[in-house]
Amino acid sequence: MTLVREIVKNKYLYLLALPGLLFLIVFAYVPMAGHLIAFKRYRLADGIWGSQWVGFDNFKFFFMSSDWYKVTFNTIFLNGLFIVCGLGIALILAIFLNEIQQIVFKKIAQSFIFMPYFISWLVVSMMVFAFLNTTDGILNRTLEANGMDTQNWYLMPRVWPAILTVIYVWKFAGYYSIIFLAAITGISGEYYESARIDGATRFQQIIHITIPLIRNVLIVLALLGVGRIFYGDFGMIYGIVGDTAPLYPTTDVIDTYSYRALRQLGDFSKSSAVILYQSVMGLVTIVIFNYIAKKIDKDSGLF
Amino acid sequence: MKGTKKGAALLGATLLLTSIVGCSSKSNEAGSSPSGSAGAASPSKAAEGAKLPPVTLKIILPGDRPADMDAVIKEAEKRMADTINVKLDLVFVPWSDLAQKTQVMLASGENVDLIFDAPWLHMEQMISAGYYEPLEDLLNQYGQDAVKVRSQQMFDANKFQGHIYALPMGNTHLAGRTYLVRKDLREKYGLPPIQSYDDLIKFAYKVKENEKGIVPLLAYGQAGQKDVSWGAFRAFMEYDPQILRSDALGQSLVLYYKNNDGKVYNLFDEMEPRVWSWIQDARKLYLDGLIHPDILALKDIDSVINSGKVGAAVYNEFGVPSSMSAAVAQNVPGAELEPVTFIQMEKGKNITNFKQANFQAIPKVSKNKERAMMFLNWTAQKDNYDLLAYGIEGKNYEKVGEDQYKQIGSNYSYFPYAWIWNPTTDRLNAGFDAETIKHYQFNKDADNLTPSILTGFSFDPGPVMNEISLYNATEDKYYNSIFDGVVDSDETWAKFKKEASANAKKIQNELQKQIDAFLASK
Repeated sequence: MTLVREIVKNKYLYLLALPGLLFLIVFAYVPMAGHLIAFKRYRLADGIWGSQWVGFDNFKFFFMSSDWYKVTFNTIFLNGLFIVCGLGIALILAIFLNEIQQIVFKKIAQSFIFMPYFISWLVVSMMVFAFLNTTDGILNRTLEANGMDTQNWYLMPRVWPAILTVIYVWKFAGYYSIIFLAAITGISGEYYESARIDGATRFQQIIHITIPLIRNVLIVLALLGVGRIFYGDFGMIYGIVGDTAPLYPTTDVIDTYSYRALRQLGDFSKSSAVILYQSVMGLVTIVIFNYIAKKIDKDSGLF
Repeated sequence: MKGTKKGAALLGATLLLTSIVGCSSKSNEAGSSPSGSAGAASPSKAAEGAKLPPVTLKIILPGDRPADMDAVIKEAEKRMADTINVKLDLVFVPWSDLAQKTQVMLASGENVDLIFDAPWLHMEQMISAGYYEPLEDLLNQYGQDAVKVRSQQMFDANKFQGHIYALPMGNTHLAGRTYLVRKDLREKYGLPPIQSYDDLIKFAYKVKENEKGIVPLLAYGQAGQKDVSWGAFRAFMEYDPQILRSDALGQSLVLYYKNNDGKVYNLFDEMEPRVWSWIQDARKLYLDGLIHPDILALKDIDSVINSGKVGAAVYNEFGVPSSMSAAVAQNVPGAELEPVTFIQMEKGKNITNFKQANFQAIPKVSKNKERAMMFLNWTAQKDNYDLLAYGIEGKNYEKVGEDQYKQIGSNYSYFPYAWIWNPTTDRLNAGFDAETIKHYQFNKDADNLTPSILTGFSFDPGPVMNEISLYNATEDKYYNSIFDGVVDSDETWAKFKKEASANAKKIQNELQKQIDAFLASK
């Protein structure tokens, strides 16, 4: 009864939330039932219920390989780098942008930083290749011109986590900095005013006012990132690295690995098994990190 | 608005056809079962003259819609109006989305009348999931011309689970393989036309010595393209014995056939000396700086060839495609490509299983199966084939004799392989050199080739699914690095063998078991 009363009382608010709720139900909750096919030998013609149960058989192809822990590690490691560097640099950018006094310059700078967000991974991959290739890559040409040895970057797996992180930051830092900037704009000017009267420098204002006040935004974004830490960004990794075998040791993530293993078979059940693994691990991590966040500061958890 | 109109037209057409089929006192269900459609006799007479009600066929094709497609469709519909009265709704799906989109279309039961599929796409899975109509009866009734223009071997070899589930598309019985060589450079060094692999390598070293900024040799290195890596490509051009790839592992040479003896050989059991020499040769070429240093990272090989910065590259057809020779000539003035192939033109020299790479299938859900087959049959007539394959005469192409053509402009790009290809009515590009045309003509005749003992065999991966997926993931790590010579041969092969041999063995055993059963039943 209390639920009904609650709904009646706030009916306009619920109405406002309705499209979002419907979206979540249709695209996030209903498909969950599809995880069922991870335990079946799914055939399109038989349908979900008609297919045969096979227990954990579909997970075998992934966990039987010697690579599954390597790709899992790569996924977490790369995503960890992306979250830390991406958010960190976005935060710094937002603060710097906020300190710019000249409006025109600020707007232009903001647009330029934001722009890479709109470039598709395919185009990015071509830009990366033009930059790094051995025959006429910009980087190798520059090295050569300065009397240094050229490097075959596509045969050096250990530098690729750094390369991918740089690309990620270049593409997304602008996007996240807009979110931070919005949060910074929301801070009341009175804080800064009183700080200035007390003689705080601008640097001190940043450390003691700006950052603590947008901490919640930072934590929410970080937690959202952590929730997806087991999902490799397929569009990015496959777009840039593609099927370049020498780079697999450091760049092969769960998604690209399963894609390669299954691309000739087109097996729905096996891919669902991998997705289920990713979702469950993602859920576990986000619960743990949310717990830690709440432990440190009561208000900063997601739930 | 346009969509609604089309939809309404389709609905109307469907209703009309349903009523016709109803009149012939056969229900729709009968039409969709392989045995039942034989009973629907009345429309077959109609195909021979009487006017049929209009029907719109929805046809799914890969690639991009050519600019002049609408003009061609208009002309085709005009020609068909008095006989089979088909209207065409062609849906082009970009190559990159093809696998997924077509799969979803079929799974969701979208009303499609003809659809492109291929073994390298998801043909076997779709057939075993029961999406396609077996075509034997339809071919017998409405497809006489479509049958006539293809060889018997083509039909026998491209059965799946004992049935013809799709019409094979192919203009030759042996896939061409070529090295595209910079003719202008060869002539510059005063070298005679290349006759052997050694000549080719000699040419490559000359390029290395004399040209800065040109990569002497180029092949494929991305893991999805194992058959066209530098070392593995040679398997297509060497004989005694011919080494053929297996039915279980598509592009890989690790499991292979030779001597046409129905046995599956395994490189992990015993290394074939010839294959090992290919690997070591590739390694030497890579270390000497002849093979493109970024070969494993290159995704778009065509554009590298087009740039004119390559001495010789592997290519999957006979002859130089006209788009490439145009691009090379434009990018490097004076540059010219010539095709070099060591595939022999001697009767019976090449063993083939006559497998084709492209197909058109009729989905079970189609309500216009008879008409779809009539359409395929219609495309097998020379004039109609010319229209659909090359466009409007005088505007998109010119006829050159009976069996060649010259393309005009680029408004009607070439895609007959996707829906109408056959060895009889197909014309060859008159821009090809004489040698290439000879190759195509030679291989159009199925009798010039030795049929593989495994012709008609298809492998069911079901029992070894896990092994295949594990094996594929491992092979992708090493195969092209080894066959393109990028890594140390001995060390990497040992690693590859250690990780993959157990799975390869299981796949080999299963394949051998199925082959034995197939041969026993023959």
